[in-house]
Amino acid sequence: MYELNLCHLYPDLLNLYGDRGNIIALQKRAEWRGIKVTVTNLSLGESFIPENYDIVFLGGGQDYEQEIIQEDLLKEKGNEIKNAIENSKVFLCICGGYQLLGKYYKTWEGKEIEFLGALDLWTIGGQKRMIGNMVFECDFLKTEACDGKIVGFENHSGRTYLGTGVKPLGRMLKGNGNNGEDKLEGAIYKNVYCSYSHGSLLPKNPAFTDFLLTLSLKQKYKDFVSLLHLNDDLENLAHNSMVERLL
Amino acid sequence: MNLRLTLTIAVCKVLIKACRLINQGGTTLPGKIALRLYPGIISKITQGYKTIMITGTNGKTTTARIIGQILKENGIDFISNKSGANLVYGVISTFIEAADLKGGNSITTALIEIDEAAFSSLTKFMEPHMLVVTNFFRDQLDRYGELYATLKGVLSGIERCEKTKLVLNADDSLCASLGRNENRPTLYYGFSRSAYSGKKELINSDALFCVYCKGKYEYSYRIYGHLGGFSCPRCGYGRPQTHITCTHILELNSTYSLIRFSADAGDKSGNPQEYEAKINLPGLYNIYNALAAAACGSMLGLPVENTIKALKSFECGFGRMETIVAEGKLIKVILVKNPTGFNQVLSYLLTEEKNMQLAFLINDNAADGTDISWLWDVEFEKLEDMQDKLDNIYASGLRAEDMAVRLKYAGVYTDKIHILKDYNQLINTGLSRTKPGHSFFILPTYTAMLDIRKILKKKFGLKEFWK
Repeated sequence: MYELNLCHLYPDLLNLYGDRGNIIALQKRAEWRGIKVTVTNLSLGESFIPENYDIVFLGGGQDYEQEIIQEDLLKEKGNEIKNAIENSKVFLCICGGYQLLGKYYKTWEGKEIEFLGALDLWTIGGQKRMIGNMVFECDFLKTEACDGKIVGFENHSGRTYLGTGVKPLGRMLKGNGNNGEDKLEGAIYKNVYCSYSHGSLLPKNPAFTDFLLTLSLKQKYKDFVSLLHLNDDLENLAHNSMVERLL
Repeated sequence: MNLRLTLTIAVCKVLIKACRLINQGGTTLPGKIALRLYPGIISKITQGYKTIMITGTNGKTTTARIIGQILKENGIDFISNKSGANLVYGVISTFIEAADLKGGNSITTALIEIDEAAFSSLTKFMEPHMLVVTNFFRDQLDRYGELYATLKGVLSGIERCEKTKLVLNADDSLCASLGRNENRPTLYYGFSRSAYSGKKELINSDALFCVYCKGKYEYSYRIYGHLGGFSCPRCGYGRPQTHITCTHILELNSTYSLIRFSADAGDKSGNPQEYEAKINLPGLYNIYNALAAAACGSMLGLPVENTIKALKSFECGFGRMETIVAEGKLIKVILVKNPTGFNQVLSYLLTEEKNMQLAFLINDNAADGTDISWLWDVEFEKLEDMQDKLDNIYASGLRAEDMAVRLKYAGVYTDKIHILKDYNQLINTGLSRTKPGHSFFILPTYTAMLDIRKILKKKFGLKEFWK
């Protein structure tokens, strides 16, 4: 029997906009296929040991809470996280969690805050928040059965720009995405997947959830081939109704 | 005579009537126009009033209803914005409607529910006699922004109003902080440790860290969400002493609650007295609303006996557990708008003993919050344990599909989940499947409530909401 260990980083601090739904989706869709899932919550002062986990999740938080984790992330867990990323561990990072992996955050007033620097990207604070439903298209998700579209909801004032070392997660079809300028959304680096999409992201984009599960199972089990098929009628209804409304 | 004032009032009164005739409720537009015609109108028409304002995330409407009943029991006439028109324009309309053409009025007490994000703007024009604050929880982030910004806004309003007396929730570290540096009459209400013991810490609680120093709070007991006996080990900030305290919950069932509470007006010497009270609404969260109202009565110097009478007899507000009896069955409408409120309603459903039909109506219009990701912060997993009592669950509203997915991932059997978007069909189906003497629960977000209420009104005759 296959098993997956999920690590939810700072669930008590980075837990905004229903990001917990991503953990629920990963867990349920694995369990429905008989794959055992253990979720570990790791917060301030607890050490991160990458070998213990197959998927790491980092959500978004309010500014107030992001300030609290800043030091812990950089000093306590930073090196281990960077190592894990370089060793191709699967990560899913949303909004604030996405920004924190980048090099820095420059506030609107010009103050530069050092971030983890695990990914070649950076964020500039904006005066206007980018809020609303979004649809973007991911080439890596495209199959005969899937058009590669992802629906979600964004709510951020930071504008993120990608360096040469990272690829975008997708191309915007509706909404702002990374910065509202270059039509790009999110980032991919090795097995790190980043997005501005709350919503929650995974529950109504089951193809992406299954992609992440497959990726981590392949990393862990040499004999793993593919996931069993599930009935996704409700998920597809939720997905398609928003795609139709927005496009 | 101030001609401009008279003219403005006259125009707006006509507008209010006209809006009602075309079935619009008439609460926002007239106020908007009044402020255009005469920017100084608010301070002018509110100056003769002793105004009690109620703000906070959850429980504003119910608390205002209970305070209204307390005023009635004491023979005090008052005006109020009952219809849930709780933004600045709605408040102006309320005062204009009550004013005569010279801007005067015969009633001198006003009971005003004000949106927590609008409170600060309103205080630029008027200073309330008293402010009752219910609580602060995460709510519609796309509209209110971050929770701490909302808190700061309310605090800035309080600082602007030096004479305003405060009634605050002691168990909410955010709410209680509003009175910490204030040297003005302040009454706190809350639960004592003996009253109730909630479950352990929720991982996505709204205020785990100290509002002053960001240290992690310790709790000697928890009620729900971040409410409870908190203290910060780092800076010493902690739950203040309460004046109105729920000391025991004697009964918590699906129609009412029976509690014991102690009252200490703060200025009398001696021990606080204990009283028993029946609260004419179920749910733990409504005990907080009752305590807030009781503290308001205490601050006004009204006899506790009348407060107890009011708690027993008040009627609930617009979509807050409104009950319709139809064909020997009950339709109960309960507004849901944010995770904590929703969780409390689900806890309440667990107290229902009979099998039920249950509908969730989730809209994503501006007034509901355009972001529905908060559904993932609601603990629908609670429903998994009561599936045998849930005959059918209907997902409806503009985001019915998202609601259905949420239920599926909460462990609800998919054959019980029905997506039904047509409200007429929903009411007919739900009611026909409800057994006599049983309930059909309808849980809508704000704009879904307005819509379903219209249909229920037509079918079963509900009160007009501005009456």
